Amino acid sequence: MAVDLTMPVLVVDDYNTMIRILRNLLKQLGFDDIDDAADGSAALSKMREKRYGLVISDWNMEPMTGYELLKEVRSDPNLSRTPFIMVTAESKTENVIAAKKAGVNNYIVKPFNAQTLKSKIEAVFADG
Amino acid sequence: MPNASAEQLNHILAFLRQKRSADVTFSDVAGLAEIAVQSLQSFFTQLDASVYRELRDIAAYIEAMKQEIAALQVNELKDNRIPAAGHELGAIVKATEQATNDIMQCAEELMEADAKDPAAYKALVDAKMLVIFEACSFQDLTGQRIAKVVETLEHIESRVARFATAVRVEEAAVLMSEREIAEVERKRRLLLHGPQAEGKGIGQNDIDQLFA
Repeated sequence: MAVDLTMPVLVVDDYNTMIRILRNLLKQLGFDDIDDAADGSAALSKMREKRYGLVISDWNMEPMTGYELLKEVRSDPNLSRTPFIMVTAESKTENVIAAKKAGVNNYIVKPFNAQTLKSKIEAVFADG
Repeated sequence: MPNASAEQLNHILAFLRQKRSADVTFSDVAGLAEIAVQSLQSFFTQLDASVYRELRDIAAYIEAMKQEIAALQVNELKDNRIPAAGHELGAIVKATEQATNDIMQCAEELMEADAKDPAAYKALVDAKMLVIFEACSFQDLTGQRIAKVVETLEHIESRVARFATAVRVEEAAVLMSEREIAEVERKRRLLLHGPQAEGKGIGQNDIDQLFA
């Protein structure tokens, strides 16, 4: 399945620079409809107002973490099928396993490069 | 009554052995009381000396502690060194943020630039490259600031280590405020470990294996 570059993408990170980096990388990959949110609860509000084709989220944010956001998304029947990629500095095995168990589609550990982001997005939509 | 003299104890024993329970006189009671008082006097004299020695040792220990606490230079750490280290770290965050923004700004302008006019495009690239080189100079300053923070940490470490040795401190349960306990619990529950040291965390290749 090819990646639909017109789908809206939601980037969730509490660090402005990282949002800016992800926005630029996604633009380079051809995405154009990119929104952002500073934490899980802000992301959840946006997701309930607009249907996103992909969520790329950090883990460590306040007040709602990316892990909590993932679990909320997967438990909401209207959002549960949204592809979700975690991009985080949390690199302990237990984090990756917990995220996978909670239903994450892929997991990128920071620091990462454009090629890794591209390949993980392609992998998510190839699986879908 | 461990410190009563043998002679005093013998007097009491002799009195008891006479088994004169039926006809104890006031003089007997007074005599016994006198012997008991003499015994207690001896006991308290020795007790006083023992307590005095203990108190003198405690006073010496407290005096030594005062000197060790003074050597910690707590006020100097609290009022000068720690705030200064905090300011240095704040400046590092600001400098790295500024440099990142400058570099990102250049990259974004180059991404959006029209390359139809090669000469104008090259001039733009050259100008932006200069800005990027300038922005990278933050590394020299932040390196010096980090060295100052490390020096402060070493200063604190050496004094705390000396203090711990001097008082022969033993590790006890950490006393935490309710807020700290709640934060620790939140981090445990939400698996918030932060970035791992090099070689400690799982790499992207291993993560990919888990998703294969």
